[in-house]
Amino acid sequence: MEALKSAFDFSDFPRSDLFVAGALVVLLLVFPLFPHSAFAMATVIQFFIFSLYGMGWNTIGGYGGQVDLGKAQYVGIGAYTTAVMLIRWDIPFWVSMPVGVCLAVAWSFVIGFPLFRLKGHYFAIATIATSLVLKDLFEVWDFVGAARGLEISPIKYTPPDFLRLIFREDIYYYYVIFAFFLIGIFYINWFRKSRLGFQLRAIKDNESVAQSLGINVHLAKVKTYAIATAFVSVVGSFHACYIKNIEPEDTMSLNISILIALMAMLGGAGSLWGPIIGAGILIPLKSYLKEWLGATAGLVGIDLILYALIIMIISATEPRGIWGIVERLRRRKPN
Amino acid sequence: MPLLEVHNLVKNFGGLKANDDISFTVEKGELIGLIGPNGAGKTTLFNCISGLHPVSSGRIVFDGEDITSLKAFDIARRGMARTFQVYVASGDLTVIENVMVGAFMHTRLRTAARSRAEEILSNLNLAELTGYRVSELPVAAQKRVTMATALATGPKMLLLDEVAAGLNPSEVDEIMSGIRHVHNDMGITVMLIEHVMELVMKISDRVIVLDYGQKIAEGQPRQIAGDPRVIQAYLGERYVREHSQELT
Amino acid sequence: MDILLSSLVAGIMFGMALSLVALGLTIIFGVMDIVNFAHGEFLMIGMYTGLLTAQAAGVDPLLTLPAAALVGFVLGVLCYAGFVKYLLRGPMIAQLLGTFGLMLFLRNMALLIFGANDRAVHQGLLVGKSIDLGMGVIIPATKLAAAGLAAVSFGAVWLLMNRTKFGKALTATALNPQGARYMGIPTERMNALAWGIGCASVTIAGALIVNFWSVNPYIGLLFTMLAFAIVALGGFGSVPGAFFAGIVVGLITEIPGFWDFLTYTFDIDWMADVPMTSFKYMWVYLAYFLIMVVRPRGLFGWKH
Repeated sequence: MEALKSAFDFSDFPRSDLFVAGALVVLLLVFPLFPHSAFAMATVIQFFIFSLYGMGWNTIGGYGGQVDLGKAQYVGIGAYTTAVMLIRWDIPFWVSMPVGVCLAVAWSFVIGFPLFRLKGHYFAIATIATSLVLKDLFEVWDFVGAARGLEISPIKYTPPDFLRLIFREDIYYYYVIFAFFLIGIFYINWFRKSRLGFQLRAIKDNESVAQSLGINVHLAKVKTYAIATAFVSVVGSFHACYIKNIEPEDTMSLNISILIALMAMLGGAGSLWGPIIGAGILIPLKSYLKEWLGATAGLVGIDLILYALIIMIISATEPRGIWGIVERLRRRKPN
Repeated sequence: MPLLEVHNLVKNFGGLKANDDISFTVEKGELIGLIGPNGAGKTTLFNCISGLHPVSSGRIVFDGEDITSLKAFDIARRGMARTFQVYVASGDLTVIENVMVGAFMHTRLRTAARSRAEEILSNLNLAELTGYRVSELPVAAQKRVTMATALATGPKMLLLDEVAAGLNPSEVDEIMSGIRHVHNDMGITVMLIEHVMELVMKISDRVIVLDYGQKIAEGQPRQIAGDPRVIQAYLGERYVREHSQELT
Repeated sequence: MDILLSSLVAGIMFGMALSLVALGLTIIFGVMDIVNFAHGEFLMIGMYTGLLTAQAAGVDPLLTLPAAALVGFVLGVLCYAGFVKYLLRGPMIAQLLGTFGLMLFLRNMALLIFGANDRAVHQGLLVGKSIDLGMGVIIPATKLAAAGLAAVSFGAVWLLMNRTKFGKALTATALNPQGARYMGIPTERMNALAWGIGCASVTIAGALIVNFWSVNPYIGLLFTMLAFAIVALGGFGSVPGAFFAGIVVGLITEIPGFWDFLTYTFDIDWMADVPMTSFKYMWVYLAYFLIMVVRPRGLFGWKH
């Protein structure tokens, strides 16, 4: 009960923030009802997807300060579990999604216990290695379609199929992922105020001090890693139904891992709104820059160059991300 | 039964003996001062007792239980709290949040942790700092906050590592009254490392002196102040030889 | 038997080139504790430099090493002075983010300028020639030359680091930046030079590798990962460690060859069915993960 109350309690944010957040939620809620391009719709869905990835990453990476660059492997586990179960055994999304979470979390424990013996850079690089190992395995594993990947063929089903999450129009996907998005926000809002959330922030601050306050640092990290994993895996499952065509290169590549971490870090790691702000800026930027500059002007790669420049400037000038800038400006104001 | 027993504790770092065969006991309700020149092994001793460093040999018994091989967090959960000599708050935790981390040791509930933290902050006269970030505070205030955080875990025993270092006299007085409050009113056994002799000598029941990793003296503050070995450790052998008459 | 020998020789030679790739990473890490995720991109730049200089000047690609070294050095110093310097003030998370940004930037600049196609060296003194070492071991001359020149370059950098005043100043900066500053060592300049030398050694490696490996803008990541594996194995910051670990990792990339050897020698059917070449780099990642977990300091690590 207290947990629920805590999840819906945003009272430690200024009113203006809540007003902006509320207005945005209403805007997103009614967006599909207004005329829009399919491209805009797809971009907003991508925004939801990456916000959720970022929120998951933010638990361990932001609040816990453990820079995890291997989240794509869990996108892959979630996506492949759902796709394999649907294609081979016709098992609906709502069953395969939790199964995927269980598998992903189990795998996160297997690698998490050794991984968290490492700190800092060493940890970050080791997470990349684990993710690449899994990707390489999936690329040759015939059961999951090897490098060709898997394709969910929508003709077999009669959309809208709410059990299997097979739809013809994006608007259904939009509202499903929107619901996940809201649940994600409430969950993180609870998490950041929970005991584990506090413990992680103490760990980020100073591990020795955290130990001396009775915190099992290793276990707290592994637990949070599992939470982050669950987030990513759920969205990975959704991704499989939405994209319908998954292959190791798209779902499990290092680029995805990096993008997930970047969203959160750019927006502001360790804050509730950070990953959402990060995704809100980067995803539209990325897809529209690609559309305008890449496709229209024929300048391949220039979208990513601008994107990279933004990242470089932010990391050199305000490492706490955009939310860090907001907070700094706010503090300067006399009150 | 003593609250803490340390038997023949040895801690090696490579070839260096940071703690060499140290034994002592602390009774419930005592306030023990731990002094010694720089590099004498005081902080290492704290690190061994609180489980941050594994000991090389020896035995540590806390509240009747052998804690020698327990991990730091396990020892903390059994009622041993500590502060750190060098503590640079870099995170974004506010004072109340920082103290809540300690309070979360015994509860899962945020409301309970919060009210406990508020209570401790007001007990230590820190209530007005509640909303500040720890990293924004001056060093003196940061040290009091870390003490409050350690206390929030509800310890039986508190190890304080140089809480008065670098503070001005009025700040030392403040921290001293804080320690007295913890010891007398909250009934917590305290052991403190301190270079500010005035503070140690004034409030300790007993003082233990380390030099080059060994325990060279133990006794009441007055005895310790006149102990030639202690004076030698602090002032150097030559000084003692040359001024032997004045000193005795 | 000849499969085994060929794999051994190929692994060692590739490993020597890889050592040089990792050398730059380990110098930079050793001096300022920053992990450069854009490292492989510098290799890619070295590869393009070698290829394009050779084409433009009409010389053999092996002779483009000075050009590659110059480009790498200048680029490294510029990167440090214009960007990395500011990153060092921030927390680790910003450093990771920042060098990722640099990686994306360099990669996509290359994409914009050179296009996505694979390009390879087709002409040259040694291209297409090979040397028969006997016992069935035939090695391409380009690989042999690359390995030899890599070892020479490696030795030169090692001498620079160990036998000169500059090298000592660099080591001092690595061990204790503040202390070095008090001793009058211009640590800022040392950091910049470390970036210059680190990047120069990797662009040299690029100009060597391009002789037998085609280049595209995406090539960097694979080599970044290989370099990380080598540096982890050899110990972060250790120069001799990088050399031996490079050879070990070179041999690890030849595991498919050893696998084939076992398959044919003992005539084991199921072994022939395993698509080992697909796992070529997985062994490197796996080795990296295991090394990090078992011995995070690496085999020759000297810093913490």
